[in-house]
Amino acid sequence: MRGVLSLAYITFVEGIRSRALFGIFIMALLMFAVTVTLTNLFMRDIVKVAVDLSLATISFSGLLMVIFIGNSLLSKDIDKRTIYMVISRPLSRGQYIWGKFFGIFLLVIAAVIFLGILSSLPVYFAGLSYENPESVFKWSIYFYAIVLIAMKLALIASVTIFFSSFTSTSFISLMLTIAAYIIGTSTETVKGFLDAKTQVIEISPLMGYVINGVYYLFPNLATFDIKLQASHGLALPEGYILWAMVYWFFYVGLMVSAAALIMGRREFP
Amino acid sequence: MAIIEMESLTKVYKKEFSRKKVCALNSLSLKIDEGEVFGFLGPNGAGKSTTIKMLLDLIRPTSGKVTIGGKKPSHMSVKKMIGYLPENPYFYDHLSARELLIFGGRSCNMDSDTIKERSRELLDELDLTAAMKRPLRSYSKGMVQRAGLALSLIHNPSILIFDEPMSGLDPMGRKKVFDLILKLKEEGKTIFFSSHILHDIERLCDRAAILINGNLNRLLDVKEELSQGETLEDVFMEEVNKTGGLRE
Repeated sequence: MRGVLSLAYITFVEGIRSRALFGIFIMALLMFAVTVTLTNLFMRDIVKVAVDLSLATISFSGLLMVIFIGNSLLSKDIDKRTIYMVISRPLSRGQYIWGKFFGIFLLVIAAVIFLGILSSLPVYFAGLSYENPESVFKWSIYFYAIVLIAMKLALIASVTIFFSSFTSTSFISLMLTIAAYIIGTSTETVKGFLDAKTQVIEISPLMGYVINGVYYLFPNLATFDIKLQASHGLALPEGYILWAMVYWFFYVGLMVSAAALIMGRREFP
Repeated sequence: MAIIEMESLTKVYKKEFSRKKVCALNSLSLKIDEGEVFGFLGPNGAGKSTTIKMLLDLIRPTSGKVTIGGKKPSHMSVKKMIGYLPENPYFYDHLSARELLIFGGRSCNMDSDTIKERSRELLDELDLTAAMKRPLRSYSKGMVQRAGLALSLIHNPSILIFDEPMSGLDPMGRKKVFDLILKLKEEGKTIFFSSHILHDIERLCDRAAILINGNLNRLLDVKEELSQGETLEDVFMEEVNKTGGLRE
């Protein structure tokens, strides 16, 4: 366990000191500044706009971080053969994968906390124009939305780790992660369309199976997106967060365990 | 007593697209005794790194077997016994040498005080004390090589496996590494290393193996078999000529 934690620590340190992360944070800061400016241009729903833009900023910046920095933290080990130095130590391949995941997970948590605190400023300023901001917006839902974004990002990190476990270059795993992200964000809408049975165009049974297969195989990232509820101050259905967490644990566990299994069989010539 | 045993060790690679088979190592059988300094020589592509990677479980043999202390290389107790320096090591860019050594120590379950003390000793010995807080990406090639050596030695392993430890070092760096290997030899460590610098192998090793085109061409007792005036370079060239040239 000590080996896993020390690997997680150096993965986190390597990520947090990355120059790309500073670039992403600067971009996020600019977007928050733009949010403050933009909300002033609106006559109504000021808080809604501020919440929407702030959460979108956290989500987008976090996504860039996981896709580019998270991906490189594992794939670069294989590309540059840094992995020789790590797995020749008393660490199993499985421990290596879990150590990498925990390191990227820590990075996600730290980045989301930082961005979450910054993002609350435009929302707070927007709320000042209301006598009773709590009537249109709830900080608790906003907080849940940030927690779910962190979970979504960690889940994408686990998908990146899974792809990196069998691809030979960081570019391929990057492309696969982007594809999985695009599918993951749209799969619920497509499945909803299929299940509604009100389509104008008839969907063949085969296509139905494909859509269902993709829906269950790829991560359902829409589960972790509650921007709508947060911006309108709507309450979440009972047990929503709990089920999201169960799904998250299951999917992340599956991805990282599969990656550990694949890595255990892999050779590093 | 043999600590490293290779028995008919063979590795065949399949090319990614053509699926054409390439035999990188052909039925290598070797025994390396405890406390021995063993040199592994051969031209590029001879199978030296392939053998070393099988000793470290980075790749697995197609056939044959390798044991270290009677156990498979993947065994955690075996990994604890080994200190490894890869050829052209590449470490994490933003870590410092000190952080690298802390990771190395913790991964071997060493306590913080011992890690601190051992790091200080090694960084001092390898002339890295002044640069220990600097990120590794700012190091010269020789400094990276020395940081890699420090990492391989942090847990005081009994077996050392070095792949081209002198590669890319300037004369001063080479001398430092040479002296270090000599010191480790005096301490009774088992050292298995590959090198193209025949003169160093001649001076450091008890025995050496000449590997050409994946085959073990000659196993020699360096001190006894090199007769008057004959150098390891002469023996090596003779072996290369005997094989009728190198494989592409």
